[in-house]
Amino acid sequence: MISTSQAGQRPDINLSRFDPLPRIMFYDDFSQGMSGWTELLGNYTGSLRTMHPGYKQFTPPMLSNLTQWDGGTHGALTGSYALKLASRPGRGSQTVSLKRMTFPRACTMQLECFFTYKPEATQLELSDSDVRSWGVVFDVQDSKHRVLPQVRYLNALDGKLQNKWQYKEQSVDFDNVGDRTVTIYHYGEENWKDIPGGHQLICYNEIPTKVNWHYFRLGFDIRTLRYTELQCNDLVLDLSGLGTLKFDAMPNLQNLFNVIPFVDSDSDRRAFLYFDSILLSGDW
Amino acid sequence: MLAESYTAVIARGEDWVDGSTTEPYEASWAREAIIMVRTLEAGTLGAGAKAHVQISLDGMRWVDEGTSLAIPTEVDGVSMARLGHFGHYLRLRAELPDSMTGFMLATLSLKA
Repeated sequence: MISTSQAGQRPDINLSRFDPLPRIMFYDDFSQGMSGWTELLGNYTGSLRTMHPGYKQFTPPMLSNLTQWDGGTHGALTGSYALKLASRPGRGSQTVSLKRMTFPRACTMQLECFFTYKPEATQLELSDSDVRSWGVVFDVQDSKHRVLPQVRYLNALDGKLQNKWQYKEQSVDFDNVGDRTVTIYHYGEENWKDIPGGHQLICYNEIPTKVNWHYFRLGFDIRTLRYTELQCNDLVLDLSGLGTLKFDAMPNLQNLFNVIPFVDSDSDRRAFLYFDSILLSGDW
Repeated sequence: MLAESYTAVIARGEDWVDGSTTEPYEASWAREAIIMVRTLEAGTLGAGAKAHVQISLDGMRWVDEGTSLAIPTEVDGVSMARLGHFGHYLRLRAELPDSMTGFMLATLSLKA
């Protein structure tokens, strides 16, 4: 199969590993810098103390060359640097980063990336159940609705390997933080549901400091407010029948489109999520 | 190409006590850094409150870099330190004698 990035021409050395839709919104190779990725900041008024504790724990993303205490610098899939999200230590601890945009026209948007996840290598053990999950949320608003499609790869829960893709279509109520500002911490452990056919073993390798990169793709149609497909390496899942978190449209969020990756820990160690590169494309 | 720069908020409203540390932050791409510490709530801060810069190869084992900042004892007081040649990971470790506490903001401004 010829990807759209290869048709009729010599493969583009950066894009031929992707399968983008006709227009590329952004392509970030983190050897060129942070490229507009930032920490997700919880809403607050008056004092940072009013921030929801779920959001308060989040930490800033960083550029990493994946240096290990035993093997030295691992580097990224291409170039030396990757975007790194690092949770704090502790079971259930989580961090979230994002890039904020608006969509130019309602269309299908498709996220692609090469990623890997690993626990902090504090133990000389396999540690393959230390990372609980990693996932992606889109934050989207059209003229009538705000939707928060979100999927995750549940690696382990309460110390037991799970190895499956999940989605969430229900969460918790909004909390009022004052001054016409509300917050909803929808990244918690509640209401995750298994995606049919979503069991998948993702290569972890044999110790925490050996890293392999994986391909991920997720599509969402802003016209219908429905997912299209999820792909991780050779697993392709039709998500078009799945629901999403959905609310009435909110003030000041017209045409919102945010891409929001997250990672959480299932042990007392930090959980790390790395992106070699991220590409967002659309068919507008 | 312009030199990459990035500011990370490494403590965003955290109640520091003696021995508090910021989370490890990777900065091997950066040649220089400015660390700023701002007091959001003075709590029981007083003379002798300091933050020490630490560096690490792996984010797990830390050594003092040698630079220390005074932690301001008044609200909105700011202190800063310039750093260079720090290698890979950076963090701050608070030294707060006499059971002092303060509600703190700390930022790390990096430049390639």
